[in-house]
Amino acid sequence: MHELSIAMEILDIVEREASDHGAGRVINIRLRIGDLSGVETESLRFCFEAIRGEKDATRDADLIIMRVPVRIRCAPCAGEFEGEGHLLRCPSCGGLETELLEGDELNILDFEVE
Amino acid sequence: MDPIKLKKKILTRNDHIAAEIRDRFRSSGVSVINMVSSPGSGKTSLLEKTLGPLSTELAVGVIEGDILTENDARRIAMTGVPVHQINTGGACHLEAAMIRDALAHFDLDALDLLFIENVGNLVCPSAFDLGEGARVTIISVTEGDDKPLKYPAMFHTSDLMVINKMDLLPFTDFSVDSVIENARSANPSINILQTSCRTGKGLDGWMEFVRSFAAG
Ligand SMILES: [Zn+2]
Repeated sequence: MHELSIAMEILDIVEREASDHGAGRVINIRLRIGDLSGVETESLRFCFEAIRGEKDATRDADLIIMRVPVRIRCAPCAGEFEGEGHLLRCPSCGGLETELLEGDELNILDFEVE
Repeated sequence: MDPIKLKKKILTRNDHIAAEIRDRFRSSGVSVINMVSSPGSGKTSLLEKTLGPLSTELAVGVIEGDILTENDARRIAMTGVPVHQINTGGACHLEAAMIRDALAHFDLDALDLLFIENVGNLVCPSAFDLGEGARVTIISVTEGDDKPLKYPAMFHTSDLMVINKMDLLPFTDFSVDSVIENARSANPSINILQTSCRTGKGLDGWMEFVRSFAAG
């Protein structure tokens, strides 16, 4: 359950940034989480809701999680594809000369305050 | 009020500490291998086989990550190699700050090679950079050959996949070809070795990998 560590980091970062901005209560936090990040959305939500009350600023904060599918570029095909199953294998030619364009992010995009 | 933009990695703090200890490893000339696997893949056995021969050539240390018990650390200590155990107290992975604290138990300048035996778990350790130079995933033939498809993040971030317990292959329906294909589709450049700690098969290749990694 590394989602608990991740939820704690999110709270720490957002609380610090909110106080740096002199902001009030945080309403929501938007995350971009890639399918190749190893993070389980529901588990992260569960952990976050369990600990958000520890900090005043985030007591009512919701997580808005945007899953980012794996996108690859295949060199021989010169095309861009969404990776499925065999994530980095080109669905068109079956080759592995691919480059990961997105899908491994574990990022906070922004957060909204009252 | 407009949303406050961050565009920030969530694990920034861990990444900072990892970068800091990676610098320390580099300036002390220590090569670091982070070993990950699911429980029971034979990670500790592989280390035991490695440490004996290696400790006559190189100054080796081990950081042993365990959720609760000290059994693995005791097995490693039997090889005579300095070992420090991190008890994660329930946590399913090691973080860079734990490694930084554990380094107080080693004389880094006297060390050539440091193994980190991560907690047995193919999911959680993948997100945490420990300042290592190489990440090795050990999978055994008694597991499913679709593991890389189920846990792509771990294989994606690994430099080497060791397929262990090859002596048991005839008793399983594990397909070596499939696991290789599956691992490559999570990480096209992953190196692959096949080993058996019982028969010794492939251990020379593994030692070769470790030696050349330690030589930089
Ligand atoms: Zn292609």
